[in-house]
Amino acid sequence: MNAVACELCPRGCVIPEGGAGDCRIRVNLAGKLRATTYGRPSAIHVDPMEKKPLYHFRPGSPVFSVATAGCNLHCLNCQNWQLSQRGGEEMEQIYRADPAQLVETARREGCQAIAYTYSDPVVFYEYAYDSAELARRHGLSNLFITAAYIRPAPLRRLCGVIDAANVDLKAFDDGFYRRVSSATLQPVLDALVLMREEGLWVEVTNLLIPTLNDDLAMIRRMATWIRDELGAQTPLHFSRFHPQYRMRNLPPTPAATLDRARREAMDSGLDYVYVGNVMGHEGSSTFCPVDGTLLIRRTGFWVTENNLTAEGRCPECDEPIPGVWK
Amino acid sequence: VAGFVFGWARHLRRRELRFLGLVALTLALILLYLDAGERQAHQEGRGWRTVDLDALKRRIGAGELSDREADWYRPQTPGANAGGEVE
Repeated sequence: MNAVACELCPRGCVIPEGGAGDCRIRVNLAGKLRATTYGRPSAIHVDPMEKKPLYHFRPGSPVFSVATAGCNLHCLNCQNWQLSQRGGEEMEQIYRADPAQLVETARREGCQAIAYTYSDPVVFYEYAYDSAELARRHGLSNLFITAAYIRPAPLRRLCGVIDAANVDLKAFDDGFYRRVSSATLQPVLDALVLMREEGLWVEVTNLLIPTLNDDLAMIRRMATWIRDELGAQTPLHFSRFHPQYRMRNLPPTPAATLDRARREAMDSGLDYVYVGNVMGHEGSSTFCPVDGTLLIRRTGFWVTENNLTAEGRCPECDEPIPGVWK
Repeated sequence: VAGFVFGWARHLRRRELRFLGLVALTLALILLYLDAGERQAHQEGRGWRTVDLDALKRRIGAGELSDREADWYRPQTPGANAGGEVE
């Protein structure tokens, strides 16, 4: 009795009284659904923008990053499983930070942006939304680092307060989503298109896992879809896999695989394709797609050279480079 | 290879054939069961979890967790009211 149907993400959990959604943190107490981690983050850090990764959004600036327990995906290779695959009642570390305290702390730390990140911020939607609304009133930007497994209506409302998103597109294959992440592909693609329609600055990350999603034909299909649906100037990040959580049987992604994927995506028509999680790789820098001029050099998460003009153009050919540079 | 398999199969006794049939049937049933579970897991409305309710209520009572009503849900019970529902 008193069951509720959660309408936030495509799972549509029907939760009996005393139960939690698949995300573990949205709990039915006496017939009302409660967001149990609202104002109770378990991870707070100041990170460089490049760690999100957002390469075309105020490069080199510090970002106030926040997350609570819980996630609506259950990836076998999760990097944050101690945070994401637990409910609030299982966490040792919980901070008290309502939206006002969060925004105040971010400003005090000298951050121009707040990132809702680490676990998937979809599941702490109310906390992220209220914080983002307040942050915007104080002149801060809001970044959503997500797998975008969310229904269109809540996403559309959220887009009103979010400035940029990095979406983890895990593979261009529904079978992979089902086997590795306990999710499905189509809602993620729909969310990406919606974000672009709503005017968010969108970058896409694809973690390449050896033998599971490193097939060049699939990468070509993904890059072509991004080019056609989101635009050729959408940055795509190929990120290196490291054995984690329940996927320790596979090796780290070879650098050659990342190189091949990058070349394939660029040959498919994408202008800005990056390689992540590989220290000092040329593919982590930004080059002008017209004349090849080095625009932004990155080493790890750090910007070591920025040659963009103040208007975000190539200093050699004056080509405008898409992004948010100021 | 086919000739070898047919030659080998001709020499199987009825009892051994019944045993092999049983093994094949068991494998088929296991596959059907796993496939049904996989399909169910991805159906909308599935996937709720049990939670340590005592620990949760204790931590809410201590202020370590929140009882803020969520948005984006609706009651399944006719006539019940979800105050936090949006749109």
